[in-house]
Amino acid sequence: MAGLTADGASLAERVLELGTTGYAPWLDRTPHRKLIEARGLPKLRAEAWRHTNVTRWYDAVLSGAETPAKRTRLELPEGVEAVDFESVRACELVAQRGEETFSLAAHPLAALNALRLGAGVAIRIPAGVAAPGPVRIGDLPAAYQRILVIVEADARVEVIEEPSTYTHRLLEAVVQPGGRLSHRRQQAASSGRECSLVAVRTEADARYDLAQTALGADLRRNDILATLAGDGAAVEIRGAWRLDGSRHLDNQVAVRHAAPGGTSRQTYRGVADGRSRAVLNGRIEIAPGAQHSDAMLSTKNLLASDTAEVYAKPELTIYANDVKCSHGATIGAIDDDAVHYFRSRGIDERRARSLFVRGFLREAIDDVEAAQRLGVIQ
Amino acid sequence: MSLLHIENLHVDVAGQPILTGIDLTVAAGEVHAVMGPNGSGKSTLANVLAGRPGYDITEGSVTVDGEDITPLSPEERSLRGLFLAFQYPIEIPGVSNMEFLKAAVDAHAAGRGEDPPSAVDFVKRARACAARLELNPDFLKRGVNDGFSGGEKKRNEILQMLVLEPRLAVLDETDSGLDIDALQVVANGINAFRGNGNAVVLVTHYQRLLNYVVPERVHVLADGRIVHSGDSSVALQLEERGYGWLDG
Repeated sequence: MAGLTADGASLAERVLELGTTGYAPWLDRTPHRKLIEARGLPKLRAEAWRHTNVTRWYDAVLSGAETPAKRTRLELPEGVEAVDFESVRACELVAQRGEETFSLAAHPLAALNALRLGAGVAIRIPAGVAAPGPVRIGDLPAAYQRILVIVEADARVEVIEEPSTYTHRLLEAVVQPGGRLSHRRQQAASSGRECSLVAVRTEADARYDLAQTALGADLRRNDILATLAGDGAAVEIRGAWRLDGSRHLDNQVAVRHAAPGGTSRQTYRGVADGRSRAVLNGRIEIAPGAQHSDAMLSTKNLLASDTAEVYAKPELTIYANDVKCSHGATIGAIDDDAVHYFRSRGIDERRARSLFVRGFLREAIDDVEAAQRLGVIQ
Repeated sequence: MSLLHIENLHVDVAGQPILTGIDLTVAAGEVHAVMGPNGSGKSTLANVLAGRPGYDITEGSVTVDGEDITPLSPEERSLRGLFLAFQYPIEIPGVSNMEFLKAAVDAHAAGRGEDPPSAVDFVKRARACAARLELNPDFLKRGVNDGFSGGEKKRNEILQMLVLEPRLAVLDETDSGLDIDALQVVANGINAFRGNGNAVVLVTHYQRLLNYVVPERVHVLADGRIVHSGDSSVALQLEERGYGWLDG
């Protein structure tokens, strides 16, 4: 199933020929290499990639066109442990993470991330500690990056992913019982091609919040997978994006209720202008036995031009019989009646549209400052 | 000079003639009521004054303070002092009432070539107007009409009117959907506003509001024309006898 590149060599072979970096030698890359050898790499025709021409991303991979940052930008509050992913201590933290937060077969780009890995950080918030300030993660000095966050029992932390450049970033997080992780992701407009995977496991009575504000890139793909693995876990994901020009943003989100009594909320608001393309596939899975799960997904999208494209698809897979699930998806134009209402009060059309869009996005953003910096709102 | 002067106004909506020759003159300081049965063209008249897209003037003229407003955009009309209280106010989630009002007040200040009011002055003013309509200050923080009851939406229109202080306010069925207490509050707001050199056109189906806001003149609209005009007693006659007595 490997895609073919122009010179006839299998894409997977060419990627494998790039070899493995020596970074984090404790990381056993055998399963990653085997997976790519056995199954190749995803291509455009795969269902999960139908709206993103992943071939263009492989071009960036093969050409090594990425220009990663030269140094690490990382800010840590007191009481939080952080180590370079290369260190033996990082290996111990990976062991503490326990079972993987995602399946490699379902996310084969993570295999490529392992082979090409060049930078990373492992972060631990010790049990019972409430971090006095946020962990800020900016640039990491390689194109392929890993971040591991372990929030121990009853600990609390805010992690802010600031705008940065990479080819692939994998962020894994485990929130142990009673812990709380607030995750803010800020993705600036970029001419780069980048993919990322966020995989989070929340254990009993743990809580994970993600607030993502994004502008598009030449190619930007975000895979987000959150598993409610313990009783009473809670996940809230909010995403707001605004694209223009010919920018691209593909969000593939899955929230998996694997234990009873979990609550999940997903709220997405997107605006696509120009010739941009925005994708949101949001999945809710309720595993057998995950009774009394309560899940909601809402995605609303505005097409601000005749040539922009929006693909919004909520999916529900439910294997338990006593659950509460709801979803809604809308795609529409800016409401002419609303614009007229503004204008009838003396507000010109341009400002009216801008205020309307800002109000629309606000339903999914509370971090107004970050949103302003990103230009998601004015 | 008349503040509002409408002469032989013909309006089509989607190619259908709705207004077929309206003549109406309102002087500064006056309140006029325009009444009529459903489908008579009342809302069309209100909307065409505000410049809503989709309403085509095929004949006639509309002037405000002597200026022809028909070529003007809705925002230009607003800046010249025209205000329409919508029959169905629009919900705008995510934009607070305060933000909406500030944007409008700033646009009006810019239109007059003035600096926008300071945030403190503006908030004081908005709160004072809200209090006059017996609205809780929290009301200003809520999204524009978002999840408002019918009565709250109508009060919000009057709030916007009080804050913007227009020359000419056209109130399109502002009384519908109000219970008796809310009706009195809204009427008090209109009465506090009226006079002071401005004019008010009340578009309504019922006489009810006119018990509290007594108009100088009442006009009856039927089939796109004004078929009868008189003093406030006309409203009482309509209430007693319905619209049928005007036929023929």
